[in-house]
Formats: sequence, structure tokens, C-alpha cells
Amino acid sequence: MSNVMIEMNNIHKKFGNNHVLKGVDLTVNEGETVALLGSSGSGKSTLLRCINLLETPDAGDVRINDYSFTASKINKHVKLEARRRTAMVFQNFGLFANKTALENVTEALITVRKKSKSEAIEIGRKYLDKVGLLEQANQYPSTLSGGQKQRVAISRALALDPKIILFDEPTSALDPELVGEVQRVIRKVAEEKVTMLIVTHEMDFARDVADKVAFMSEGQIIETATPSEFFTNPKNERTQKFLERYLQRFSYSI
Amino acid sequence: MGKIFDFQFMIEIIPSILKGIPFTIMIAVVGFAVGIVIGLFGALFKIYKVPVLNKLTGLYVSFVRGTPLVVQILLIYYAFPILIKLINFKFGTKIDISWIPAVVFMFIAYSLNAGAYLTESIRASILAVDKGQMEAAESVGMTMWQAMIRIVLPQAAKISLPVFANFFIGLLKDTSLAFTAAVPEIMGQAKIQAGRASRFFEAYIDAALIYWGLCIILERIVAFIEKRNKESA
Ligand SMILES: Nc1ncnc2c1ncn2[C@@H]1O[C@H](COP(=O)(O)OP(=O)(O)OP(=O)(O)O)[C@@H](O)[C@H]1O
Ligand SMILES: [Mg+2]
Repeated sequence: MSNVMIEMNNIHKKFGNNHVLKGVDLTVNEGETVALLGSSGSGKSTLLRCINLLETPDAGDVRINDYSFTASKINKHVKLEARRRTAMVFQNFGLFANKTALENVTEALITVRKKSKSEAIEIGRKYLDKVGLLEQANQYPSTLSGGQKQRVAISRALALDPKIILFDEPTSALDPELVGEVQRVIRKVAEEKVTMLIVTHEMDFARDVADKVAFMSEGQIIETATPSEFFTNPKNERTQKFLERYLQRFSYSI
Repeated sequence: MGKIFDFQFMIEIIPSILKGIPFTIMIAVVGFAVGIVIGLFGALFKIYKVPVLNKLTGLYVSFVRGTPLVVQILLIYYAFPILIKLINFKFGTKIDISWIPAVVFMFIAYSLNAGAYLTESIRASILAVDKGQMEAAESVGMTMWQAMIRIVLPQAAKISLPVFANFFIGLLKDTSLAFTAAVPEIMGQAKIQAGRASRFFEAYIDAALIYWGLCIILERIVAFIEKRNKESA
């Protein structure tokens, strides 16, 4: 029996009159890698941000492993609890510009997890090593390549030992030749059974790394399947259209 | 009174005028330091639209920016004796206004003045820090204060450095108005020396050269700090 890491029930979110999330249900089990797909503007980023409460959902319930909350009862304390159980990897890296690579990893270990400086550094070095960046430990983000930055961001997320890591298009801001190194790191993390929810537009990557694919359209998750089922035998009409469009683009690019 | 320009007098009084430097620097440093603290709070009140304080800050900034510094100095200079009389009257205390040196009033006047201008520039530099930095800090579980103090403000400070440096140089020059409140800073000293021999031009040339020298030294220091800062990131 697997442990549930994320359970979202009937999540709604509006920006003014723009009803972006219209009752999203989503479950992510421990050790699972879930790819969240969907066309631009369908609400994928908003959904991720409603998990760590960078956006506050208007309605619905969320459970992050041992911690549950209801949209109507979100306050500062709930936000901190949610964020201390999750980590996020942003499209634009989100590395602290005034901190070295190592300090980026140790910062929250010290200020949030209250670890001693020496213990934090030990953990930080271990995770930088894991993404192959131990040599760059003392470099500032501005001196790293995009791929290296994103690997630091991933090691920062891993070091927090969260219930789940949320990825929002982790390779979209990278030069094409740097996409591979970041995808390799994520794949390695997936093999270690770290629970992940990954928003991506890279279908091959999703197919390859995910245990489960969730497809979002117009503010709802309308299909959830294993990658092989999803890509070869999509059930929903909108999913089929989406994949067709993608396959067309793919055939042009050959 | 034969000479048109008394060069010897000009040289002779330099040491006396130099005695004003500590006052000049003290007023500038205190005004700047307290101004930064005021400016930081003012900026945060405005950015986070803190009820009441946000409005009060707006009023304060508007007043300070909309009135001449000399007027502010004179207001403080004359308001305090009245205030202390009022306190003595209300609470039966016996504070003597002459216990408080004039330079203290100038600390207050220059701090309030600097605070208003720095509120605006600190606000601008906090807003210039990439919004993603705050989000990233919050996403790893830091509180807003931790994120502000450890991530956003250090970056804002770096952005502000050139502005702060110029502001401090401007402030140092503005301290020359403190003589209106009888503070013996550089200008005050120059005036005293000039009055003795009725040779104003010579004394003010000294004052000008001393300010100029101080500013050149400051600019050097700022350039050095900026260079080191660039190298560190
Ligand atoms: N902070 C915000 N304020 C107002 N509207 C927003 C905000 N964030 C997102 N939206 C709107 O919500 C909708 C969904 O945006 P979201 O970023 O979640 O889509 P997405 O699926 O992540 O798209 P993409 O693939 O382009 O990243 C869009 O119409 C967007 O304009
Ligand atoms: Mg998005």
C-alpha cells in the first residue's frame, strides 16, 4: 500500500473574472513521478503554485502527506507548513543571486530547518555532488550556465528532503544543448523514488521519466494514465487533439 | 585694509575652519544612518501598504520633499524649545533647553530629511529586485521577514549602492546649512573666521576647497567599494 504525498480535491482558483482552476482533483503517491501536461494557459503553473501556496486557492482541500488544509482556512501558518513539506524548481531557476551555489542549498537548511552550519554544509556538499556541481560550490549563480543553475536548484530542492518536489517547466528557459544535462539529473532523481510533480512541454521526456501522466485542459485534469496508455491510446477527445498537434509539430521538426 | 585679496589670511584660518570637519561628518553620518533606518521602514510600509503607516509615510515624504531643507532646519530648531517648554509645563519637569547642544537638533533635522528621500530610493531598489527571489525564498519555507532580510534586502542594497553614495555626498554638502542653527561645522567656522577680519571671500574659498577635498576622498572610497562589489559577484 502506497503512501499518498499529494491529494487535491475540487480545487478552484480565479484571477478576477478568469476562472483558471475549475475543480481540480489530483493524487500523487509516494515515490511517483507525475508529469502534468496541457496546453499553454490551461492552469498548470497555477495548480503547482496552489500546492505550496504561492497562490491561494479559492476553494477545495489539499493534503500534503500528513498535513491537510482547506482553501478557506489558509493563513500564514498554513503557508509555512505547506512550504516546509514541498520544494519547487522554477522555470527561471529562482536561485538566490546573493548566495553561492552551496549557500543556495544550505540557506533554508539553516534558517528554516535550524540545522547547524556545519551539518548544513555537509548536506549541501552531498547534494551538489549528486548533481555533479561540487566544484562550483563557491560560485555565484551569475557565473553558472543555465543548466548548472537548474542543477543547483534541483540539489537545493533535494537537500530539503521534501514530501514532493514541484517542477514548473524546468528546461524551458534553457538553451537546447543544456536541456539534456538537466533532464538526466531529473531522471536520476526519479530512479531514486523521490516524489515529483513535473509540468513540462517535452513529451519525450514526460513519456520517459513519468510513472503517470495527468492532462490538464481548461482548468481541469481530464485524463490520467500511464505514459504508454496516454501516448498510444488517449481516451479523451481533447487529449487526442493535443497529442495530434504535438505529433504534427514533431514530424515537421524532423 | 589695503589688500584686495589677503592670501596669508586665507592660509592662516585654514586650521580653524578644519575644526568644523568633525561636526560636518557627524551630522552627515548620523543623518544618513538614521535616515536609512527610517527609509527602510518607510519603504516597507509603502510596499506592503500597511494601513495608516502607509498613509503617514506618504504625508511625511511629501512634506519633506516639498519644503526647503533650511526651512526644515529652522522649524526643528525653533520647535524643540517650544516642545520642551510644553513638556516641562505638562509634567512639571525642569529640562533646560540649553543642556541640549544645537548639533542634536541638526541630527534630528537631517535624519528626518534623509529618511524621506531614502524611503523613496529604498522602495525603488527593493522593487527592482527580481520578484522571483522572494518567491524562491518563500518556496523553501522562509518567512517573509527571513526572505526580506537574507535575500531581498542584500540585493536591494547592492542595487542602491551608487544611489546611496551620491546621496551621502549630497548630504555632506547639505550639512553646510547647519550653520543657520549655530552649529560650528565647516561653514559655521568659516563664517566665524570671516567675521573677525571682515574677509568673507577668503574664508569661503577655504570652505569650498575643504568640501571639495572631502567629496573627492569620498568618491574615491565609493569607487573602491563598487569595484570590490563587482568582483564579488
Ligand atoms: N498572477 C496572475 N494574475 C492574473 N492572472 C494570472 C496569474 N497567473 C496566471 N494567470 C492566468 O491564469 C491562466 C493560467 O495560467 P498558468 O500560468 O497557470 O498556465 P500554464 O498552464 O502554466 O501555461 P504555460 O504552459 O504557458 O506556462 C492564464 O490565463 C493566465 O493569464
Ligand atoms: Mg506555466
